[in-house]
Amino acid sequence: MSPVGIVTVKTRDNAEWLSALRSSGAEQATALADLRVFLLRAALYALRRARGNLGLMARAEIEALAEDCAQESVLAILQALDRFRGESRFTTWAYSFAVNAALVAARRERWKRVPLDPLIEDGAWHGADPGRQALEDETLAAVRDAIEECLSERQRQALKAVVFDDVPLDELARHWGSNRNALYKLLHDARRKLKACLEVRFSMPVQPTRRSEP
Amino acid sequence: MTGPDFDGLLRHIRETADVEISCTDCFDLVPQYVDLEVAGQDADAAVPRLRQHLDRCAVCREEYETLRDLARLEAEGRLPSVDDLRNSL
Repeated sequence: MSPVGIVTVKTRDNAEWLSALRSSGAEQATALADLRVFLLRAALYALRRARGNLGLMARAEIEALAEDCAQESVLAILQALDRFRGESRFTTWAYSFAVNAALVAARRERWKRVPLDPLIEDGAWHGADPGRQALEDETLAAVRDAIEECLSERQRQALKAVVFDDVPLDELARHWGSNRNALYKLLHDARRKLKACLEVRFSMPVQPTRRSEP
Repeated sequence: MTGPDFDGLLRHIRETADVEISCTDCFDLVPQYVDLEVAGQDADAAVPRLRQHLDRCAVCREEYETLRDLARLEAEGRLPSVDDLRNSL
């Protein structure tokens, strides 16, 4: 038996977890209760790390959010059991659901009061450093031109929001009624276009404008 | 104020591959990658292209780093209990 907080849960290997969760009656109920404890711990750990995104949320609210994430993850795991290929420990695989649920929720909390439309529709590059622009005018101008001329409006908006304004991919996806995969592909396509534009159209190597400090 | 991270963007553009894995693929592969890392094995060799996605995708990277640290603490027997985590919120 393994202690996880105030309760003690049975230690299982991968096959035992799968067997117990696919069983019925008391065996399945015990496994579900144990799994929920593991997931609650993972959710609490993730939310504690993301505490900075949770603003003024009271401890009780964070605990309730962790409980919700754990419960949501139990359901997701039961639906995904056939996708578990045994290439990791079952518990690591299960933790990934709770970590995902908790961090998506934390990002939601951080960004829910930020109006994204003005941020997305504002075409200006916030915080541009005029001095640096002058020094690196040629490279920056090429990048700016490529962004303006080679990308679609949607790609420009996504690039600006995610790369320059640090809007989380899942928050922008939620705002646009899309999903994380689709947004990642949109940005991947944008990077491929920019790479082609900068290397072929402008006949220049795509290198950083300055080297990082050692 | 440092301005927009054009250097970071240029690096990402330069390293862009024709084929990159999706966030869903990343989610499916991260547990194996994390377990290999925690065990001290060559995770990049066993799970190719995952690191590339993690370098590009901030949300997947945040989830990977949290899972990795959680698994590492657990493997070392140092993961706080539910009660300790509650009390430290």
